[in-house]
Amino acid sequence: MLNILCCVKQVPDVNQMRMDPETGSLIRAGVPSMLNPQDSNALSAALKIKETYGGQVTVISMGPPAAEAVLRECLAVGADKAVLISDKAFGNADTLATSYTIRSAAETLGHFDLIFCGKETLDGATGQMGAQLAQRFDAAFVSSALLIKELDQDKGSLIVDRELEDGVETLEVRMPVVFTMEKTNYPTRIPNLKGKLAAKKAQISLISSMDIPELDRTRIGDPGSPTKVPRMFPPVLPEPGVILNEGSTQANVAKLLQIIAE
Amino acid sequence: MNKDAYKDMWVHVEHDGKTIHPVSLELCCQVRKLCDQSGDGLVAVVPGELEQEQLDKLSDCGIDKLILVSGQGYDRYSTQAYSNLYVELCEKYRPSAVFVGASVNGRDFAPHFAARLETGCTSDATELIYNPQTRDIEFVEPAAGGKIMAVITIPELRPQVGTIRPGTFKYAPAGKREHIQIIREKISTLPEDIPTKLLAYKANEADPELDISTAQRVVCVGDGLKDESLPMYRELAALLGAKLAATRPVVDRELLPYRLQVGQSGVMIKPKLYICFGVSGAVNHVTGVDAELFIAVNRDENAAIFNYCDYGIVGDMDEVCQEMIQALKNAQA
Repeated sequence: MLNILCCVKQVPDVNQMRMDPETGSLIRAGVPSMLNPQDSNALSAALKIKETYGGQVTVISMGPPAAEAVLRECLAVGADKAVLISDKAFGNADTLATSYTIRSAAETLGHFDLIFCGKETLDGATGQMGAQLAQRFDAAFVSSALLIKELDQDKGSLIVDRELEDGVETLEVRMPVVFTMEKTNYPTRIPNLKGKLAAKKAQISLISSMDIPELDRTRIGDPGSPTKVPRMFPPVLPEPGVILNEGSTQANVAKLLQIIAE
Repeated sequence: MNKDAYKDMWVHVEHDGKTIHPVSLELCCQVRKLCDQSGDGLVAVVPGELEQEQLDKLSDCGIDKLILVSGQGYDRYSTQAYSNLYVELCEKYRPSAVFVGASVNGRDFAPHFAARLETGCTSDATELIYNPQTRDIEFVEPAAGGKIMAVITIPELRPQVGTIRPGTFKYAPAGKREHIQIIREKISTLPEDIPTKLLAYKANEADPELDISTAQRVVCVGDGLKDESLPMYRELAALLGAKLAATRPVVDRELLPYRLQVGQSGVMIKPKLYICFGVSGAVNHVTGVDAELFIAVNRDENAAIFNYCDYGIVGDMDEVCQEMIQALKNAQA
């Protein structure tokens, strides 16, 4: 039976974030959290594999206790098991520390044949997790996977299309494999009422730093993160352009079309 | 960590066996400036075979050294071969930094070898600053969807790895140096050690509607778009002889395909005319637009997009669009 892992993250909806014009810092209060959009495509791919070839899909997330909400969203559309890696010691981790932590936590759950991730997150947007997880799991890596076409469990291999800038390559890949998924063929799934109710009641396993034997504490959280953010500042905005004010939309549009025509 | 033990800044040279990817040349030009400040040498690393005439292009960018790597595994791209190459070379030569163009493949292997070296990796910096006090590179990049700029550093480890999007920096060759040291290395990754095998490659069919990179006129819709209003903007684009494009939130909403996404993480465009509707003006988006005439329509008069436009209309995007369609139709009739 295929053992499938799907890595997801709860992110703030950055489109709703506003900057405090006084302090130049981001206002996080009141900004809703959500399942990282691209992770929902990765989950759809994981579920599609399970439906086609059989297997079990475990969703895993690292984050604060509130991140449980996105795991329940995943359960509601068909994930079998949900695991939350949560501990203050894991906080402030960059991708290097996070990839180490997820692999260490996942090892306590068993061996995974296929590991799915979104291409990048809405907030950090480094797009590095897939590659670094592949390195941590010592797995093959297929980034920008477009379509998983055939999977042969006896041979332990599969055939996958991968999207490049100017075309599509078809690869034969030995498992285990880490994928980052393109959304094209794996649209976000919408839960039905039954799924939502079941997810509400489902048990979510919690993994803290105490639950991982031989965890190297120098490699997690802030101490394990080589990238640092010494400062932030608001983007320097150029001088505003000319705002048309001809009295009505019709007059503004007429003026605009005149400008375009010139 | 003793920072003296790590010297030179490297640029990965991506190529298809015939031509060098423009991003690698852009990076050589930009990293040259950092090296001038830090005293490091600029090194171009070329995996696989490349003609002399192409290597000359690298020389023109002011490189001090060229590392030419031969061996098995470079005929076609694989994560393993490229990751192996950089792990081996970095351990041998201890560069201070490695820059990789953020092509699909660059983004594939750079974080991989950085993880193997247990060092930090940054992505998508729009500005690179050498700090002479700390002797670190400051990678300046838009964060939180472009609402804020973050300075990222890798203060305790080397090499500092960074992937940079194509088009971020200008190709402005500094000129050939008198002495260019050429180093030849042989590093092989055998086929049995590569878990992926190429079966086929199919080039994209040219769909002019999906190719916005060279469009002269672009109509772009942002997150302010109502799902049901999309056809209206298609109509406007058609009337203007423009291509329809979108910002990331619209692509995330799965209303338009990724190939139409304008911005740092999508397509960089240089149209004569650019009109955007309901676009907030996130840095990630506007850095992807280099337009002769930039027009913005947004309901929020404080939207950052008005700082980037030449002309703006504050108002309901659908109303303005509808009005434009009407006016253009009237003009045709």
